Amino acid sequence: MARLEPILTSNYGVANSQTLEVYRERGGYQALAKALEMGCDEVVGAVKKAELRGRGGAGFPAGVKWGFLPPDREVTYLCVNCDEAEPPTFKDRTLVEEDPHQLIEGILITAYATRTTTAYIYMRAEFHKQFHIMQKAIDEAYRAGLVGRKIMGSDFATDIYIHRGAGAYVCGEETGLIESIEGKRGWPRIKPPFPAVAGLFGKPTVINNVETICCVKHIIENGPDWFLSIGPEGSHGPKLFPISGPVQRPGVYEAAMDISVRDLIFDQDFAQGMLDGEELQGVLPGGISMGILRADELDCKLDFDDVRKYGLLGLGTGAVVVVPKRVDIRTVLLNLARFYAHESCGQCTQCREGTGWMSRIAQRIADGAGRVEDLDLLIEVSKTMGMMPGMNICGLSDGAGWPIRSVVEKFRSELEAKIAAQPAGAAERALERINPAYYVGAGRVKVT
Amino acid sequence: MPTIIIDGREVECRDGISVLQAALDAGFNIPHYCYHPGLSVVASCRLCLMEIKMQDPRTGDLAWSPKLTPSCQMPIRDGMEVRFNTPMVANNQRHVMEYLLLNHPLDCPVCDQAGECMLQDYALQFGRATSRMVDPKHNNANKDIGPQTLSYQDRCILCTRCVRFCREVAGTGELCVVNRGHRNEIDVFQGVPLANKLQGNVVDICPVGAMLDKKFLMTQRVWFLESAESVCPMCSRGCTIRIDHNLGKVWRVKPRFNPHVNGWWMCDTGRFCWDMIYDDRRLLQPTVRRGGAATPVDWKDVAEIVRGQFERAGQVDGGKQVGVAVSPFMSCEEAWLLTSFVRETAPGAMYVVLPTPRVAQDEVFPVGSAREQAKFIISAEKAPNRRGMEQVILQASGRHAATFEDFVVEIGSGRITTAWIASGSPQPWGDSELIKAAEHLEYLVVQDYLHGLLSETANLVLPTCAWAEREGSFINDQGNLQRFQRAVLPPDGLMQDGQYLFEIAGHRGVFNAGRVRERMAEAGMSTFASVAEAPAAPAHAH
Repeated sequence: MARLEPILTSNYGVANSQTLEVYRERGGYQALAKALEMGCDEVVGAVKKAELRGRGGAGFPAGVKWGFLPPDREVTYLCVNCDEAEPPTFKDRTLVEEDPHQLIEGILITAYATRTTTAYIYMRAEFHKQFHIMQKAIDEAYRAGLVGRKIMGSDFATDIYIHRGAGAYVCGEETGLIESIEGKRGWPRIKPPFPAVAGLFGKPTVINNVETICCVKHIIENGPDWFLSIGPEGSHGPKLFPISGPVQRPGVYEAAMDISVRDLIFDQDFAQGMLDGEELQGVLPGGISMGILRADELDCKLDFDDVRKYGLLGLGTGAVVVVPKRVDIRTVLLNLARFYAHESCGQCTQCREGTGWMSRIAQRIADGAGRVEDLDLLIEVSKTMGMMPGMNICGLSDGAGWPIRSVVEKFRSELEAKIAAQPAGAAERALERINPAYYVGAGRVKVT
Repeated sequence: MPTIIIDGREVECRDGISVLQAALDAGFNIPHYCYHPGLSVVASCRLCLMEIKMQDPRTGDLAWSPKLTPSCQMPIRDGMEVRFNTPMVANNQRHVMEYLLLNHPLDCPVCDQAGECMLQDYALQFGRATSRMVDPKHNNANKDIGPQTLSYQDRCILCTRCVRFCREVAGTGELCVVNRGHRNEIDVFQGVPLANKLQGNVVDICPVGAMLDKKFLMTQRVWFLESAESVCPMCSRGCTIRIDHNLGKVWRVKPRFNPHVNGWWMCDTGRFCWDMIYDDRRLLQPTVRRGGAATPVDWKDVAEIVRGQFERAGQVDGGKQVGVAVSPFMSCEEAWLLTSFVRETAPGAMYVVLPTPRVAQDEVFPVGSAREQAKFIISAEKAPNRRGMEQVILQASGRHAATFEDFVVEIGSGRITTAWIASGSPQPWGDSELIKAAEHLEYLVVQDYLHGLLSETANLVLPTCAWAEREGSFINDQGNLQRFQRAVLPPDGLMQDGQYLFEIAGHRGVFNAGRVRERMAEAGMSTFASVAEAPAAPAHAH
């Protein structure tokens, strides 16, 4: 497995890579100059031609998204999604930390293409250090005439602001993010209207992930054909894969999307295998919302389409977590369920109540008071609270149900074995403690 | 009119409404919580989900979409086809009902909402009998959120109707959602109680028992309540309301939907005005003044006393010594009975409408909005029927009512010797000029609600009943003639105003406001020929 020549990560590790000086020395802002010579529509055309798919999780083609903007609009906003709240994901964070000017250049090209005059970087609350790095870079770019009025001497003008979140996973959802920037509770909006038509402050709005925006810079710099030459059909371009868990070399790796999970974990160019004494039990390959792979499914290619063959919801953020054998699968289940119960915004009934219910079931199973029927219940809840096609306002409930169902289905025998190994009557005693009326004498009261 | 197909049935519907509203209008029982026609759509309860026929993007053929769509959010399009009667829809309803009840305390036996609770009804119709959750329930705390309202957050289903009401109709935005996920709850902002003038509506629109009226709390089982259709007497807006009563007592007042007047709402002044019925300053028996002391008089003698006095005064000078002041608190029928009796006995009598209590200006909601955008208006005139009085005087006598100032001058100068002054104000009142002038009268009949200075000097005092104890009609500030029914009987010893006026006017039998209105119409008073009725709300809307 040949490692891809660094593209998005080309400035990683370079001394003072956050400064404008170093970025310029290494060829920065030439793509912007090139874009400004092209027409707006030409830039959009190039991105469309490159088939750039969103790196935030859903994989929606960015150029198509921009194409939804009404042609006769007066004001357009660009929101850069730097909420990066998907649990094991830390790719956007490194892009901001290591190369903030790459992001600024991407934002400027995107803003130029979409005729945006104001761009907001929505940054997750926990990014303190990253905020200061980013703000410093923006200030520097303002001073250099790269942001603000008369950018690079042209008539193109745009401002970039950083808006910091307050720590909610759901604010990474497009319309939750918009509400949050507007100063409201981060409750996703009902669609239609879609943000491209009526988004931030009711105006046409483009929302793209940090990594997507960074890719735009390279598409303009090297041309769409170069971009198309990287990676498999339908999943072109470089992609960052953060990998964590008990592996030799955790971190963020850049690769084309024909890389398999096995290569990412075991290849010498990537994570270099498991830590000594650890054995792989499963892998959550796309953040946590996309589902889990068993140890025998590691040939799954990390592109937008192949993952579906393995029962995953999609590529997601491409963040890989390796779950070792020594970790009880019940804890994995609990960790997943608890996260969504904590992060569901609570707007839609199924998601609000379903995530809370699943986390309580998972808690009880993890506490050693599970029942086999709880596993069926988990699957039923996860199916009825969302799943594709979604039933709720946003995709959180789909992403909350899928990994639970995935873990229960793929690790059913392990879970059943754990339940079988509980002391006799453990579940019954727990239920009686919770609800004394649940049992009457020896027989369970059943009313249907 | 667009036509859509719901469950295979063609339904004609109004333009610009949602599929859910069209289905409700057509009589379908579609469960819903967060949708309220008077509020914005949030589509968050996910109970009204339906199947819709859409164009398949690959084949271009019309096919049932594999995805459920919220019907409250979907605007109607002519020819569209939707269905609710499928296993997929029913399965979603069943699961949503189970979810909503997961953390609900199921304390129906002690819940005010029991009996009119949409959680109970939908659980019965669309839900399941048992919960499969064996884990501990999450219970949010119950809170006192304002002077009139309690919030039982363990019962809340997070439909956010109350939050939207405070933002969109009241315009005060006291309520908000705090916390996340299943720990979500409705709360007030710190230090800002729910105290706007429309806040009682949050109790009405709450589909469950989460928002509770302190005054009604644990007083009545709602299934024992009977309702009388009524009109609010507290301002000239005349909101369409219903009075819920049981065992001869009023327990609460609720708005009825009337798009022409109040929409779905009413203000707290009207909502809690029924306190006036139990005011201990009320006049509770008719009295005549004999030698300085007020003595109770038998109702059966009242008509004779009044007729005797007015006939005597009416014979002098063509009846010009008689003056009648009707009140904006009177019903049209009562005023007509009174004026028709006076006209017969004293043709030249002077008619006047007692001044209407006023505040500076109308209150418009949402607070701070322009009148054109108003969703609710509280009128500055704090009496229900000034326009009705003016119409009755004009149409019965052919003359406009005299000014109150002239009336006082005529009394004070002694040119009017016999007067009937009706008030019926639920607030203590007294015009010092009038009281001073009244000393010159030879004979004064006062018809009033509370003890007051005027009733202390009157020769004959006739108690007025509260509006809930009477029937009749008011004309509101838009000129709508609106009728109100009697809800409860007056206290022992009192007679409904209409009844004694009916007898004084020389009629026999039982007073019936509708029949009196017919007589008024027959007498050529066209305004009273038809009543503006509130349209019936769709059966399954709530």
